[in-house]
Amino acid sequence: MTMGVQPFPVAPAPLSVEQAEAMSQRRIKKHHVAIILLHWFNAIVWLCELSTGAALIASPYFRVAPYWYINMLRNIFGTRANMLQFHIVVGITWIVVFLVYGIFGFRTYLAKQIFEKEIALDRDDINWLIIRALRILNKSDEPLPPQSSYNAGQKLFALLVYAMIPIIMITGLIMAFHLFSTAVVGWAVVLHFAAVGLVVSGLIIHVYMGAVFPEEKAAFFSMLTGMVSELYAYRHHFKWWKEVKMQEQAWIQKLQGVSTPTGVAPPISSSATPPSDVEKTEERHGPPWTFKRIFRAPEYWPPYAAGVGLGLTLLATFVLMGQGLGASGGFTSYLVAFIAWVAPNYATHHPYWSNYIQPGQSPLITFLVFELIGVVIGGFVSGWLAGRLRIAVDKGPRISRRTRYALALGGGILTGYGARLARGCTSGLALSGGAVLSVGAWVFMLAVFAAGFGGAWFMRRYWL
Amino acid sequence: MSAPYFSAFSLTTYLAVAVLLGFFFGFFLERAGFSSAHKLTAQFYFKDFAVLKVMFSAIVVAMLGIAYLSLVGWLDMSQVFVPPTYIWPQLVGGLLLGAGFIIGGY
Repeated sequence: MTMGVQPFPVAPAPLSVEQAEAMSQRRIKKHHVAIILLHWFNAIVWLCELSTGAALIASPYFRVAPYWYINMLRNIFGTRANMLQFHIVVGITWIVVFLVYGIFGFRTYLAKQIFEKEIALDRDDINWLIIRALRILNKSDEPLPPQSSYNAGQKLFALLVYAMIPIIMITGLIMAFHLFSTAVVGWAVVLHFAAVGLVVSGLIIHVYMGAVFPEEKAAFFSMLTGMVSELYAYRHHFKWWKEVKMQEQAWIQKLQGVSTPTGVAPPISSSATPPSDVEKTEERHGPPWTFKRIFRAPEYWPPYAAGVGLGLTLLATFVLMGQGLGASGGFTSYLVAFIAWVAPNYATHHPYWSNYIQPGQSPLITFLVFELIGVVIGGFVSGWLAGRLRIAVDKGPRISRRTRYALALGGGILTGYGARLARGCTSGLALSGGAVLSVGAWVFMLAVFAAGFGGAWFMRRYWL
Repeated sequence: MSAPYFSAFSLTTYLAVAVLLGFFFGFFLERAGFSSAHKLTAQFYFKDFAVLKVMFSAIVVAMLGIAYLSLVGWLDMSQVFVPPTYIWPQLVGGLLLGAGFIIGGY
């Protein structure tokens, strides 16, 4: 390099044992959660599609899998048509998820991530490829040029994959729905097969490097935790390490309000520095998947995380029970049980309460009654884990406890009456009915929000 | 065998599964912060849209799951309870519940 003073070395210098030890302790964030999720989603899709795709090709010209494998998969799915349907459904899911990522996450995850980090080959990358090849052939012992967050080999694979993915998607759609003429469909079959073949040739190396190759173990774990050790970054992705360090330095300078002249080499690793970007990252983000961080943290979960959990619970309820989750119906059963206990004759002849009574069975033997017991336990366990358990009156700052009690009672009567009138509350009708697209559920939901937003102005004194 | 499975359960299993599903229901509601009346009503003052986000992401997840499972023939939709529609009672009931929501804080 021609510049007089270098703030950082151009290539990784040998480290002392202590430095290496300290650097292996510190962790840097490498992958965003969205990228990790996309990676594993992609991996599962490829596994499903390759295993069924190989069995779908029965034509003697293209057949890749042995007959016993084709027969085995056919038996698993029952018929070839079922297997084809599975292949198509998974493929369409894949396309939809990629489109959602591409459209909504374009700026945040894709533009920077892909175009700047994953596929842009620079001069160092080209040299890396040449030297790597020469080294494999034992023709050179030159050190490999420093690499950014993805090395040249990874970038080549990414280029191939990003070029082939649109081809696979489009030809897949053409084949699945027989778009255009027969000739086009015929070409689509060949292209689909060729594009997948190219990706698979790279995929073999990718999986081998990630899952088997010992030196790349850190890369594999970074796809689970999002973090790599600073030592790994320094040794394998030096240019990226430098970038992180320079950002950190700029951050420290901003924090201290000092504009130190450039050209001062920073310590590679020192525990005496003020909170650096690396440590800040670690405090805020990593290691992200520990039990403690997820369940014992006092903050609530991000709404979408809790929403997905709730949605999966609701889905499981439909699959297991054939109905959704609920609340108010369970309370009604408790009330009916009480009435039937106090005045059995009245309850069994009442036009409304008798709906909740089966002859010869307690009104308490229902799904919702037992589900509500679970709700209490689940809510308690969640609050207990997070340390949120306390006895408190949750009210606006300007009102007395007595006012709050009165409002709670009045609001509760309205809520209860409204829920029974509509045959469900926000859980049983809006949430569960909404998920199965019941028209009444959506009418109800919109009415709840309309009244809530409309009435809020009148109640602002009590809550704000 | 295709879902839903409730008809294949013994009574004990049925009720145990109910408690288990309720456990997760309560757990995720508490995780989302729905145990606080203040947080619930905050959305109506445009301060905290957690309720809307949680509710709609849950609906979307369950809806897509149901759509896919019935598409691939695993979930028999004819056996799934879809709340019947009674427009006027549900409209009025929703308005009453919404009013009660903002007064009582649910």
